[in-house]
Amino acid sequence: MSAPLIETQNLVKTYGRGSSVIKALDEVSLTIDRGEFVAVIGASGSGKSTLMNMLGGLDKPDGGDIAIAGQSLARMSKRALAYFRNETIGFVFQQFQLLPKKSALTNVRLPMQYRRPRLDEENERARQSLERVGLGDRIHHKPTQLSGGQQQRVAIARALVGEPDLLLADEPTGALDSKTSTNVMELLVELNRQGITIVLITHDKEVADYANRVIKMRDGKIVEDVRQGVLA
Amino acid sequence: MRIPGLTTLTLASGSLLERPFRTLLTMLGIIIGVAAVFAMLSIGEGSRQKILENIDSVEARTISIFPNWNNGRASARRAWRPFTEQDVLDIQAIPGGEAATGELSQEYSIVSETSDWRANVIGADPQYLAANDLQMQRGRPITQTEIERRETVAVIGTSVVRSLFRGQDPMGERIKIQNIPFEIIGIVDETEGTNWRGQDQNNFVLVPRPTGRARLFGDDRLVRNQVRSIRIVGATHEDRARFEREVDFIMRRSRGLTADEAPDFRIFNFSANRQAVAETQRTLSLLLATMGAVSLIVGGVGVMNIMLVSVTERTREIGLRMAIGARGSDILSQFLTEALLLSIISGLLGLGLGYAVSQVSLGTDEIEMVFSPNIAILSFGSALLVGVVFGFLPAQRASQLNPIEALRHE
Repeated sequence: MSAPLIETQNLVKTYGRGSSVIKALDEVSLTIDRGEFVAVIGASGSGKSTLMNMLGGLDKPDGGDIAIAGQSLARMSKRALAYFRNETIGFVFQQFQLLPKKSALTNVRLPMQYRRPRLDEENERARQSLERVGLGDRIHHKPTQLSGGQQQRVAIARALVGEPDLLLADEPTGALDSKTSTNVMELLVELNRQGITIVLITHDKEVADYANRVIKMRDGKIVEDVRQGVLA
Repeated sequence: MRIPGLTTLTLASGSLLERPFRTLLTMLGIIIGVAAVFAMLSIGEGSRQKILENIDSVEARTISIFPNWNNGRASARRAWRPFTEQDVLDIQAIPGGEAATGELSQEYSIVSETSDWRANVIGADPQYLAANDLQMQRGRPITQTEIERRETVAVIGTSVVRSLFRGQDPMGERIKIQNIPFEIIGIVDETEGTNWRGQDQNNFVLVPRPTGRARLFGDDRLVRNQVRSIRIVGATHEDRARFEREVDFIMRRSRGLTADEAPDFRIFNFSANRQAVAETQRTLSLLLATMGAVSLIVGGVGVMNIMLVSVTERTREIGLRMAIGARGSDILSQFLTEALLLSIISGLLGLGLGYAVSQVSLGTDEIEMVFSPNIAILSFGSALLVGVVFGFLPAQRASQLNPIEALRHE
């Protein structure tokens, strides 16, 4: 049995000072294996976004430890964290976060710009990544020429291009209508079936149902951890 | 094939070209600043070289001596005393002197067989040509014998040749001055330009000074033995002070002045005049330097401002880049490159503007401009410096953004 992809131990993150301290994460311990599709669900303020920032190496915990793909993040330098994000994590955001004046191909190529050493065949990799999300015929389109669903697919292609260990999706359907949401979620399910580990942050129960494990958070604590669906 | 830094450069140029008008406006301050610095350095170099190249010319080695109209005491008796032929001889005897001459002249109407023309008639001695840096074009100069015998011979300037003879050969011809016939024995080579009074320097007739004194200037108040001014050539830059001391000593002795009396003559050197010109140029340089510095600072603040705006506008982009793996140093270099690129283009345009402006102002004699690669590099370098100095703060601010907050920025 291989080591889990993600392991957190008593993760603590607090905001504010003195009497107004808010515990965004309160002793969170969690294990996620490779190949899982996990939805973290909770109301706003439950601590799910903070957890995502921790898992993605965007923020550091105030206490506890977090290890992803064998790397302990709590004491990593900023520089090492940047490299970790580039190599290990693929981010998908609610607002897509595409560069509006650049083509889909250029947007997808972006993470490879920060890879050391640089990968070969950057254009080919970007093109393949776009094909993987079904946009092989849109590679020269700019975000403004694409629908919301297509834009989020470009963002997913960008997250995949560096072959990360973990895809972190923060409300990926939050800016989409329900039909397009379904398409995007089906794409994520398909990618998970292909072996990609996905952690999805959402407040939407329906969206969470696509995952095979749902973790419910409230007030910085995990209150429920349920495996469901075929793989449960 | 991958060229290091190319990605950063492409990134920077792309973002500048997205807003060409804004970019151009931002560059204006630096463009003007560089142009001013460029002009300043060119003018500075120009005046430096002008002084250097003339430092040992005949003109620079000449000392002129004039009687003073007023020596400070408003006494009619001493108001204006000309020099004497003996003074000329004494000055000629100064060791190290190459040539010295007295000057006595008057404008007359010169009459040839076919026409007449007004010219300056100069009473010359054998050293006149050398002391005035003149060469013979044809014929021969006036000899000592002709001077002693007060012969009626003349050596003329090219303007007189042109005006009186119109293509005919003047050699051996006769001209009349005050109805006295003179034989033309030589023509002096042309000198360029005008003298300090703006008069044509080639419009003269040289006659032996004693001849002139006896037959032409006799009715003038200048009588026997007197000359209006004396010129001596030979005072090199290093030796000038000694020459001036010797001249001062000779003139005081001749005029019965003690060493501490105010002189009733004036010693004039062209280099001193040059230095006044150089002083003017220095003032101009200083003015341009101030203007250049102010423009560069204003331009730099413009760059800083536009970069800060750019950082704010692209906060989300910065957040995204950080999330997908950009280090702080990547962001820093991206924005610094942008600021540098801005100042490089401004620098080049500034050099172009500076050169264009200097081409226009080169038409004036007062401003001497000299270009050199060093000047171009220095003024271009000032633009780069501004880019780095004023681009650093915004770039650093961008590199220190928190990616989580940056991504949430609206």
